[in-house]
Amino acid sequence: MNSREVCIIGVGMTKLHKKAAVPVDELGRQAVMAAVKDSGISPKEIQSIYIGEMGGLSGSICLGQRICATLGLGGVPMANVESACSSGAIAVHQAWKDVATGRTDISMGIGVQHLSGSRASGTAFAPDANDPEGIQGVTMPGIYAMRAMRYMHEFGATPEDLALVAVKNRRHAMMNPYSSFQNPITVEDVLNSKMISDPLNLLMCCPNADGGAAVIVATKEKARQLGAKLVRIAASEITSGIFTNGFRDMTTMEITYRGSKEAYHMAGLGAEDINMVECHDAFVISEFLYTEAMGFCGHGEGVEFIRKGMADYGGKVVFSPRGGLLSCGHPTGCTGTAQIVEATWHLRGEAGDRQVPDCKAALTHVTGGGVYGLDNAACTIHILTR
Amino acid sequence: MDKNQNNEQQQIVFHPDFFVVPDNGEKPYLIGFSCKKCGKMWFPKLPICPDCWSDELEKKPLGRTGKLYTYTVMNVPQPGLKAPLAVGYIDFPEGVRVGAQIDMPPEKIGEIKIGMELEVVAGVVRQDSNGNKVISYRFIPVC
Repeated sequence: MNSREVCIIGVGMTKLHKKAAVPVDELGRQAVMAAVKDSGISPKEIQSIYIGEMGGLSGSICLGQRICATLGLGGVPMANVESACSSGAIAVHQAWKDVATGRTDISMGIGVQHLSGSRASGTAFAPDANDPEGIQGVTMPGIYAMRAMRYMHEFGATPEDLALVAVKNRRHAMMNPYSSFQNPITVEDVLNSKMISDPLNLLMCCPNADGGAAVIVATKEKARQLGAKLVRIAASEITSGIFTNGFRDMTTMEITYRGSKEAYHMAGLGAEDINMVECHDAFVISEFLYTEAMGFCGHGEGVEFIRKGMADYGGKVVFSPRGGLLSCGHPTGCTGTAQIVEATWHLRGEAGDRQVPDCKAALTHVTGGGVYGLDNAACTIHILTR
Repeated sequence: MDKNQNNEQQQIVFHPDFFVVPDNGEKPYLIGFSCKKCGKMWFPKLPICPDCWSDELEKKPLGRTGKLYTYTVMNVPQPGLKAPLAVGYIDFPEGVRVGAQIDMPPEKIGEIKIGMELEVVAGVVRQDSNGNKVISYRFIPVC
């Protein structure tokens, strides 16, 4: 593919709130202002803008225009994009694509979500009630619980193993001022929390959250002019699920295997080059499945990998240094963008107490969407390098 | 006149095109759809074959039992459904996997095991927004 090199010149995000005091458009504006300030550009230099929000939840049409209007950012191409939890990452992908293809020199992707204001707490996301599994009452935690049950059956993982991921990510979140949760938890706390969907307890499931994040991308030349530390987008990859209703292996996350393979190819890198990963750890089982799908270990080896601390500081690669969805909370449309903000801070060496030492390459990964017959509806992967 | 009126406990069979409850008292069964052109088997009914786009799909009744691939017991199911609710994926010998509720009384729910044989039955899976009982396929252990 003939494309220009694209760099991240500005990032910003709000704290991820259990319940934000301001409405969804204000969360978006706070993130945009932080990113513009971080970049050092004039806001009028942004030539196209994409906004990811999980559709329908804010109750707003054209949410991006609502966020941007009073910031004086109108008059440029602007589009609202939606693919469930991947929405915010796809917004950044669209901005990347504009710069990579030469359509613009500076573009912005925004991810935003105000879950507490748009859906009842204590309920679980579920597939559409009109699809054949949705009508049966299955929820997203239910689907991941079934993956976990099969994984435990095949590879001997225990509930204690599952709890390790929640404890590790909380330990990371304690160093992240942007995270929803910062109090420490133990394996016992996790196993004693309310059972949601066997074998997943409450503390093994990501909590809802509200937040906004924004990423401004530009040509390498523009990034150089600004004098900022260069953070390059080595890969920006999106893909979609493939319909199957046969005997698919639910411990093999096909869409992530495929997506990460394509992303590594685009970046000219492999798993061995990656220092940190922000993955879609909506449930603890995800980290087992994704260490394998992204090639950090073989199929079924995720248990040993995690038991030995290979996905932690001092191991092979740091998974979820910001605390992941499990501890930061999961403001669905915002998460993909917030992961890219986090990775940028690590590559610049600006991540404070949770800095991944000498971080040279970071991978961010969000899937999204429960659609009948699809592994996941969407998968978006970015590989950033310094 | 609205046929739902004057009928407090209307029952609606969901997806009658791929779940058959015979009138003659015989046991219910599911239907798979085999593509006449490429031979691929699909469930549920689809307008065209997603692999080759042929619209010639042939009805193939599935056997009544399958093997449990995985399951969970949900304590927080979708709103309006009673907990605990067991659901699982059942693999049929014809090459189709079906996700559905497993009908077990709460005191027996711990007996569900991966690999067990389950048989398809008709049952109430939920109530719709009008309070009508929605009948669809559920699974019970083979005795």
